[in-house]
Amino acid sequence: MEESKMGDNIYLPQLARVIHIKEEVPGERSIKTFRVEFLNGGGFDHECGQCAMLSVFGRGESMISIASSPLDKEFKQFSIMRAGRVTTAFHDLEVGDVIGIRGPYGNGFPVDDWRGKNLVFIGGGCGLAPIWPVIQTAVKRRDDFKHITVFYGGRTARDIMYRAELEKLRSTAEVCLSVDKAEEGWEGFCGFVPANLMEKAPSSDNAIAITCGPPVMIKFVINNLRNLGFQDDHIYTTIENKMKCALGKCGRCNVGKDYVCVKGPVYSWADLKELPPEY
Amino acid sequence: MERMLAKEQIGDWIRTLRGWEVFGPVLQDGVWSYQPADTVQLDHPNTAQPPKGFAFPQREVFFTFEQIKGEPPRLTPVAPKGGQQVVFGVRPCDARGLPRMDRVFTETFDDVYYRTRRGSLAYVGLACNQPPSPHCFCKSVGGSPVSTEGLDVLMTDLGDRYLVAAVTATGEKLMQAAGDLLTEPTGVDRSEAGRLRLAAITHPQRAVNDVASVPPRLKKGFDSSLWEDLARPCISCGICTFLCPTCHCFDINDETNGSTPLKGSRVRTWDSCQFPDFTMHSSGHNPRETLGSRLRQRVCHKFQYFHENFGMFQCVGCGRCVAGCPVGIDIIAVVNQVAASAGEG
Amino acid sequence: MINPQDLCTRARDLLASGEVRAVVGYRRGSRGMAAEPVVITKPEEAASLVWDPSCVHNLALYLVADRKRLAHLHQTPGKPIAIVAKGCDARALVVLMQENYFKREEVYILGVSCESTGVWDDQKLMQRLGCDSQSLTGGRFDGDDFVVTTATGEQRISAPECMADRCLECRHPFPTMNNVVLGEEKARTLAAPFAALSRFEEATGTQPARWAFWQRQFERCIRCFACRSVCPMCYCEECIVDSITFTVALDTTAAEKANRVRWIQRSATRSENIGYHMTRALHLAGRCIDCGECERVCPVHIPLRLLNNKLEKESREKFGYEPGVSIEIASLVSSFRDDDPNDFIR
Repeated sequence: MEESKMGDNIYLPQLARVIHIKEEVPGERSIKTFRVEFLNGGGFDHECGQCAMLSVFGRGESMISIASSPLDKEFKQFSIMRAGRVTTAFHDLEVGDVIGIRGPYGNGFPVDDWRGKNLVFIGGGCGLAPIWPVIQTAVKRRDDFKHITVFYGGRTARDIMYRAELEKLRSTAEVCLSVDKAEEGWEGFCGFVPANLMEKAPSSDNAIAITCGPPVMIKFVINNLRNLGFQDDHIYTTIENKMKCALGKCGRCNVGKDYVCVKGPVYSWADLKELPPEY
Repeated sequence: MERMLAKEQIGDWIRTLRGWEVFGPVLQDGVWSYQPADTVQLDHPNTAQPPKGFAFPQREVFFTFEQIKGEPPRLTPVAPKGGQQVVFGVRPCDARGLPRMDRVFTETFDDVYYRTRRGSLAYVGLACNQPPSPHCFCKSVGGSPVSTEGLDVLMTDLGDRYLVAAVTATGEKLMQAAGDLLTEPTGVDRSEAGRLRLAAITHPQRAVNDVASVPPRLKKGFDSSLWEDLARPCISCGICTFLCPTCHCFDINDETNGSTPLKGSRVRTWDSCQFPDFTMHSSGHNPRETLGSRLRQRVCHKFQYFHENFGMFQCVGCGRCVAGCPVGIDIIAVVNQVAASAGEG
Repeated sequence: MINPQDLCTRARDLLASGEVRAVVGYRRGSRGMAAEPVVITKPEEAASLVWDPSCVHNLALYLVADRKRLAHLHQTPGKPIAIVAKGCDARALVVLMQENYFKREEVYILGVSCESTGVWDDQKLMQRLGCDSQSLTGGRFDGDDFVVTTATGEQRISAPECMADRCLECRHPFPTMNNVVLGEEKARTLAAPFAALSRFEEATGTQPARWAFWQRQFERCIRCFACRSVCPMCYCEECIVDSITFTVALDTTAAEKANRVRWIQRSATRSENIGYHMTRALHLAGRCIDCGECERVCPVHIPLRLLNNKLEKESREKFGYEPGVSIEIASLVSSFRDDDPNDFIR
């Protein structure tokens, strides 16, 4: 086969340079945010909630949700928790290093359908990253939406990611932060995210709830949202599974008949509850 | 196009196939496999492995990379070795694997490696006058011992000669190359072939019961305790999946062979849903942690999920996973038991 | 000769009395008359147990699996578990106990003597009968013979014609370590120890020829890992040679995960395959009790038993050590004697 025919190669990443690195959360399960720009005039548009396969050559690939708003065209942003082989390699990167990136993959949140509605975001841990582009987009298109509430919690105050951005957000949205246990100097809610949600009890009237976080948190949040009167098709979440190809072929991220990398990661609870709980 | 070929002339036909690399079933060290061949003798049982690897090899290098720290890496795609390949003696069940792989690799996201290999591949099949395995069940899953799906040519063994029938345009080209070697079938040839085909089709086989009801019943039986019971002897090896004509799961890894500058390749290798950490998240959380959940994945993928996505079963009934399982896990029995129990409730 | 009914009765009584929590044995599967492993927990299930020449599997594997499962669930074993054990299976248990994987009292050994025969080999059956055990409708021991039922009726075969090589060469067809044993201990000489290995070494002759042979064998390995998965001695939670058994606990750090060395790549290439098989063979030296399961299950017929036999022969000739004979003696690699040969250290 000639080189030219390899052009449309779904496995071949584009190259992107790391232009900014910010340490969000320190410690063993640290989170860093990477801002990258494409080399050689490359790039792609994405929707809120979509993911990309990121490479550190020699270490491998990982599926990471795109944490920047589609309205930001000059760069893409990713918040990565140090968890294993590839993510550790990311944490070892310096500004100027070049990574591989292919995508976008998966579906997005149906943000356009939510015009004129109240938006309630509920995030935990590094689960703020996948819903962050929706929050950013909603803020940039502030007039399209009514009341915006953001619930977010970390294990401790140190585990709160996007701290400065969240503070800035208070000017346009209601921000309800929490930590799992009381600690000195913390003025927000003390307790788990689902409890904070029930304490504030946002109205389900004309509202969409978007949640992402650890599986156990999502489970209780969805339960609580339903108790607050949210309908199943007004609750959105994202799921994740081990992925290698992001193309619906490698066979490991499926939940029932759905490959999460193609049909997900965004699901309404109405759809998700019909799938087997293999995630 | 139907023609006759004297058995002793099959080598002569193969020699006319200029520009094609020819493979046929060969017995070496007690193992039947497809090997490059000048001539073929088609008296083989099922080969140990199906011919899946011609289009989807166990190892595929996507690209090589070379990177000096801080500088952009150089990525060089590795194209599959060109050249047309023709495989003789493919069993009809194995050939039906190919259109199923096509669905996975060429729809939605077109896989250039698969498409390239597939595009230069031809299958010359051999009808199964006798079932090659006691666990053949092709008829249960929409196939037959004389099926042409996925084949370019189907040959039928008439004792001292073959009836050679073209299925695709590529098949016709392969036959045209033979020139005078192939002769017009006589009425006797046709009636003999017809008799053998009927015998082949009516030969008793093991069966998946009421296969049309299987997908919804498996869906209903997702939480059945039978999965763990039936999977209890499973040793979590990859035999059932690696020998399967339709299993396509894979892994992608970077293999390095130098650090300054960094040099290596990004490589696809077959993987198996039966391996314990196939779906394990980096956190250690594993959605398919138990033997039962992994057996269910393999069975439901073939008999439910694939059917829901593509309207066809992902099993072709070759029986290799049944015969090859070290501990007797039998997909026919598993499907029948789970479907029956789901049908009761 | 063993009456299979006696086995069922014993198993039923053990479960009914509550002496054991489960019995690992064989039952008839759905593939012809071929037996398959089963774990039963209720007395009424005991009637399904069988004992015939298709009981090829080494069931010690399931005790290892049971132990791992309990450990994962943070449960203690409680009552012993019973296992139907041939001579080779019992030898595997001896090695596992020598290595402190189990305590003797945790296992109830329901021994079955192979007496003057052993289990059969599917490839030999295929050659002799034109079909394998999965096509037979019946098969049983009868003195020195196997009696099989095919589509054309019953046939008597002299057992050594179709017995597995490992059984022909077996020196301990009687499970010496047992709680109860069915069948007699019979002296027999069917083939010399390491007969297949000697034949192979003679046939291949020189070292380069043997290396060429092994390269060809490993070339076709598909790395399904069945050889390792079926081996009771391959009980490591994490196997160093591949990436499919990584153990990740809640407290496994990202650094630990990231720094795992990939000694062998997943690519099923000759070099990687050789690395895998050689490492495995060395880890079995002085531990392999020659159940031959690795070779039996290999879907591409790599004669793995020859590799393991070679190392067993070395350990026997150099150290006078035979694995699986007694739990009282220290294992080969954990013991040292002043007169151990050391001429191989250069």
